[in-house]
Amino acid sequence: MFASRSSRRRGAVLGAVVAVTALALSACSADSSSNVPSGNDAAEVTDVQAMLAGAPVADDALFTPGSTMEKIRDRGTLIVGEALDAPLLSQQDPTNPDDVAGFDAYLAQLLSVYIFGEPSVEIVPPASETREALLQNGTVDVVFNTYTITEERAEQISFAGPYFSSGLAVAVKADNDDITGIDDLGGKTVIVGSNTPAVLAVPEEQPTAELVDFATDPQAVQALLQGRGDAYVQDYTLLASNAAANSDLKVVGQPFTAEPYGIGLGFGDAEFKDFINNWLLEIQDGGQWGQAWTYSLGTVVESEIPTPPTIGSVPGS
Amino acid sequence: MEIFTENAGLLLDAIGTTLLMVFVAGIGSLILGVLVTVARVSPIPILRRAAFLYVQFFINVPLLALLLLAVFALPDAGLILPLLPTAIIVLTVYEAAYVAEAVRSGINTVSVGQIEASRALGLTLWQSLRLIVIPQSLRAVVQPLGNVMIALAMNTALAAVIGVVELTSRVNKINLVYAQPIEIFTGAGLVYMLIALAIGLTAGRIERKVAILR
Repeated sequence: MFASRSSRRRGAVLGAVVAVTALALSACSADSSSNVPSGNDAAEVTDVQAMLAGAPVADDALFTPGSTMEKIRDRGTLIVGEALDAPLLSQQDPTNPDDVAGFDAYLAQLLSVYIFGEPSVEIVPPASETREALLQNGTVDVVFNTYTITEERAEQISFAGPYFSSGLAVAVKADNDDITGIDDLGGKTVIVGSNTPAVLAVPEEQPTAELVDFATDPQAVQALLQGRGDAYVQDYTLLASNAAANSDLKVVGQPFTAEPYGIGLGFGDAEFKDFINNWLLEIQDGGQWGQAWTYSLGTVVESEIPTPPTIGSVPGS
Repeated sequence: MEIFTENAGLLLDAIGTTLLMVFVAGIGSLILGVLVTVARVSPIPILRRAAFLYVQFFINVPLLALLLLAVFALPDAGLILPLLPTAIIVLTVYEAAYVAEAVRSGINTVSVGQIEASRALGLTLWQSLRLIVIPQSLRAVVQPLGNVMIALAMNTALAAVIGVVELTSRVNKINLVYAQPIEIFTGAGLVYMLIALAIGLTAGRIERKVAILR
């Protein structure tokens, strides 16, 4: 009896020690991930302000009475569904909650400038699961959330754009030389982000691959480095930024899909869709689209500003 | 509706995983929780202290934090387990703290006189706990334990975050294809409701059977 008790006690103490160690370790790993370039240096903030100051503003004639854009202008703020935790796309600065940086965030600000003449964005962070519902019940006006245009989704909501085209790529541990691309993933354990296009795209390419999904990108990277999977499939730009920040990880091969990102709108609002598509053309011609890319995704990818995809070029847009 | 019929196999599989987690972690946390309570009322000071700290730790740290620590921090310490067992172990030790609190309140319903009587009759500490105190205290807390088990069933959904393909994770994936969040998540909610109802009704039946009428 005494023996069993003392071993129980030891078990409890051991549990506490393990838990404390775990807390300490996770604190370390949180530190090391903070060097992901988030594009909110002081210099870049002024760059972004300059971009917004020079951005096009819609003509009064475009705000037809009773239209969605008129309602938004009367309200005085644009309600956008966008993430707050996506590096390079839409990331909130925890020390300054008003500073949300990234490609999606800059485009949302540009759209608000187009409507009001000055940036005025209210962010509602959507879960990927609820974007359609948020648009359908009018909680948000538009969604900028790496929202891949698909025909299934286009039956629920409307898409303006595409405003950006990206693709999924494969990342592996830096010392892994066996996997050189999507073709080598048959029968392997593949890590993906929950609710990302990879959940559907990987089984299409490699039906025998076993998927493990994690909620956030840092979790997925950690899982890959700890050996919970052989490879991590994610958006190419996001992987490139991970690889730039962490030398234990490398991107192999070229993107194997084309993901057209659209701007989610309420279903069937053709007037508002035209309004946004016109705005996209204006910022593409005006150079703000390219600037938004340069200040966000362009900070980790060594290439020229990409050519924006043709508006309406994708089924569902 | 065809969403559910087209994916029936996948959904049943996921519901099976959820039920497995509820069942294994439920039994495990009941056993562990009673042991922690015994330690907490034992006459050995260090055991009481350890049990107190155990309960306080697990009641005051969010389950999600524990799950993430177990999945991402323990491998750095050289301990890597598959995801489903990790989730079940974390759920077990977490819910055991709540079970221990419920059982402790049950122990307070056993009058001191009974314990004094059992000692007077020559029962050892272990015998009086096993034969007098624990049976009566468990009977007094059937319904509260049922509530802890319902909370456990709901908490299994958090395992979706760490990559366990249970019901919540599966419906997330299905929604990604069909983009019908309201229907899909209402369906999942109904399944969780049925699980909770089943646990609640079972607890009610057991309570009526074993209750001590005073």
